[in-house]
Amino acid sequence: MTAITRPTRWSEPFGEGMAADVAARLLAVEPFRSMDPAAFPPKLPLRDLLAGDTRIVKYQPGDVILLEGDYGNSAFLLLHGTARAALERLEGVSESAKPSLVSKIVRSVAQSLAFHRVPEVRRPAQIHPGAGGPLAARGERDTTRLFLQDVPGVLDASQTAVLRAGEVFGEVAALSRTPGVATIFAETEVVALEIRWQGLRDLMRYAPAFSEHIHRLYRENSLAAHLRETPLLSGLSEQELTEVAAATRFQTHGNFDWHAELPGSSGDVADGDETLFERIAREPVVAEEGQPPPGLLLVRSGFARVSRRRGDGHQTTAYLGKGQAFGAAELAATLLEGQPAPLTHSLRAVGYVDLLRIPTEVALELILPKLGPESLLELASDTDAALPARTLDYLVDRRLNNGTQAMVIDLDRCTRCDDCVRACAQTHDGNPRFVRQGPTHDHLQFANACLQCVDPVCMIGCPTGAIHRDGETGVVRINEPTCVGCSTCANSCPYQNIRMVDVREPGGAIVVDESSGLPIIKATKCDLCADQLGGPACQRACPHDALVRIDVAEITPLAEWMETGPADAAVDDPATEPGAAHE
Amino acid sequence: MTRRRTKRRVTNAAVLAVGVAALWWVVQAMDARLVCAPYWTGYALLAVLVVLAVYNARKKFASLPLGSGAAWLQLHLYLGAGSAVLLLVHTGGRWPNGWLEGFLAAVYWLTFVSGVVGLYLTRAIPRQLARTSEEFVYERIPRLRREVLAKSRSVVLQAAGDAGATTLADFYTSRIDPYLAESRGGVYTMRPSSSMRRALMRELADLKRFLDQAELVASEKLFALVRKKDDLDFHESRQSLLKRWLFVHITLTCLVLVASVAHGLLALSMRGGPG
Repeated sequence: MTAITRPTRWSEPFGEGMAADVAARLLAVEPFRSMDPAAFPPKLPLRDLLAGDTRIVKYQPGDVILLEGDYGNSAFLLLHGTARAALERLEGVSESAKPSLVSKIVRSVAQSLAFHRVPEVRRPAQIHPGAGGPLAARGERDTTRLFLQDVPGVLDASQTAVLRAGEVFGEVAALSRTPGVATIFAETEVVALEIRWQGLRDLMRYAPAFSEHIHRLYRENSLAAHLRETPLLSGLSEQELTEVAAATRFQTHGNFDWHAELPGSSGDVADGDETLFERIAREPVVAEEGQPPPGLLLVRSGFARVSRRRGDGHQTTAYLGKGQAFGAAELAATLLEGQPAPLTHSLRAVGYVDLLRIPTEVALELILPKLGPESLLELASDTDAALPARTLDYLVDRRLNNGTQAMVIDLDRCTRCDDCVRACAQTHDGNPRFVRQGPTHDHLQFANACLQCVDPVCMIGCPTGAIHRDGETGVVRINEPTCVGCSTCANSCPYQNIRMVDVREPGGAIVVDESSGLPIIKATKCDLCADQLGGPACQRACPHDALVRIDVAEITPLAEWMETGPADAAVDDPATEPGAAHE
Repeated sequence: MTRRRTKRRVTNAAVLAVGVAALWWVVQAMDARLVCAPYWTGYALLAVLVVLAVYNARKKFASLPLGSGAAWLQLHLYLGAGSAVLLLVHTGGRWPNGWLEGFLAAVYWLTFVSGVVGLYLTRAIPRQLARTSEEFVYERIPRLRREVLAKSRSVVLQAAGDAGATTLADFYTSRIDPYLAESRGGVYTMRPSSSMRRALMRELADLKRFLDQAELVASEKLFALVRKKDDLDFHESRQSLLKRWLFVHITLTCLVLVASVAHGLLALSMRGGPG
């Protein structure tokens, strides 16, 4: 038997060269100087946290620190030097411009006429960073760093804000798992402290002043926009919205590393003998059925399960994602009946959930009266989701509710002709971007195609920001010139929907790195045919209406499709009794 | 979607009925004016056949916005039905007496019937496949079957070693291994049956009372492997039936097109009268 030391959180520190004396020196720097080390638990001392969850990063002038659209994983504290935040989209830096109609036509025709003798053929300009653009790259694989080739030119052409030593940036993207809203690059030589989100969360938990500072930044920069986008708050004036924002509190529940717990992943906790009841009971309770509502809860990021007590267990009745609200029905009932109405459901964090809590009195005074009697009655009627509980459980347990464009195949109609696969290959360099396999529930298959997740954890850790969410279309895409083939995204995707491919030159030979001789590898995934005409080719190709790209993050679209589609197949099709010949 | 599909069905059928009525009216009008209608119905029929054949060609241009596959299938189905009416009008309801025309009529009706059979198969088979324990990609089935065989042999060998008995191994060698190793015949492909699996499982269940504990554990695994092999065979037979049907249908379509063009050229070259 081999005995080893059980790995701990900091067995693999974030920064390899983060010596203890550097961590000690950081304690003399704001904001750490103002933190009370005694407030941190003995198992999580501030000094160890700095040594394990942060690293010193040096940037040359022009180096990109954060790329617009890049998925935040860390916050940065500027220790030395000056950086610039672009206040407008930098031409050619972020690939978020919506493809024009002409480019779509050209791309569609080119793919149609292309004869794919070998798959994944690229011209050098398609895969080489900096080919004609403002960005170039240096370093290899996961140490690759992008830099702006003409910093003075960028400064002349674009509006930027100066960031100096002591300033923190990237914290909102890291905490709310949203793409960065601006490109930040080094103007001079810069030394920054990169704090990964695990450490950032603990710093916020045990250093109230730091937490307040981060929340103040969020409140100033993003909260109003979030509230404005919430349908329940759409009738509020700017003044009222400001009052609501001032009263809003932040809450976090659960484990940010939800993707490590997904069935089938290495950190699988859903396998084994754990029953659904046990799993639900293990999920952190945010609000308990029968208790007064803690306020109006808005999901800022993450997922939550809504359940109702059934006997000794809990039955899932709905799930919530970003932008959705909990407690509104009870608050509406309170307003209508004039007496407090207890919660009719419980709310639990699935993985993790970040919530905005609007206090009950604020909701009752400012928000609900704006809705009008009919809306209030509708809200208070509190109907359960249209999907059966077992389907809800299936979706939540496998986190399929993360998908905004899940590929769902009705196996009762699918003839397995693979027209969808061929169509995908024809539109993507002769190689399909999905596999017609995947988890199956009843007669619905959730195929291995990119779900276009609400919380795209594949974007965590991409060293160049090549995988990004397109600002215009919302599609998670891979920018091939800046993809260094490190496989971080493919390994991070909990659904195994990203594949690494060898790229080839038109003659068919594999393209190799000129220095190492190793093949050039690129990450590929479904891009919803965003740069082509007509939408996803897979869905268009299906002759039997069996395949659909559907938003599973919302319950209604799938419920409507399930209610009508399969029933139709059962009624209309001249099929024999299922499996009659087989049995 | 039920209502949507019903509405679609009614709309398409109505359009087809209007088209057939219009065709009848046009032919009557032509006859009244002593115009030779069969030439014009022949042109129309050839055009319809080309459109029907283009349905498959459209799949080669998936990246172009040429309409959804589902819409094309609907067009294909209703136009196919319309083509039969058009052919009856064209031939006057008689079987042609020329050998080329007879051949053309024969392959047309074979194509038509294969289309109807295909419609039935594409509606019936998916639901049968969906009731099996797993989904299998057709191209992967041979490899999966080899894996099942290898795993079953390893399970039985392990059990024989652990139990020091060959009761299960003997039964496996004589009954289960041949079942797992062999592929099913043509009869099974046309009409698959689970009778073999059921018989094996029954025999295996009967054998249980003679088995050692280690063999019992192995026999449970064998149950699952036999079940999986049966599902693999079933998927292969049903999916291959669909693929073979499509091959036959497309081949017949090509024959119809070639024979139609030959018939058209022949008819035009033999056309008498002024000009």
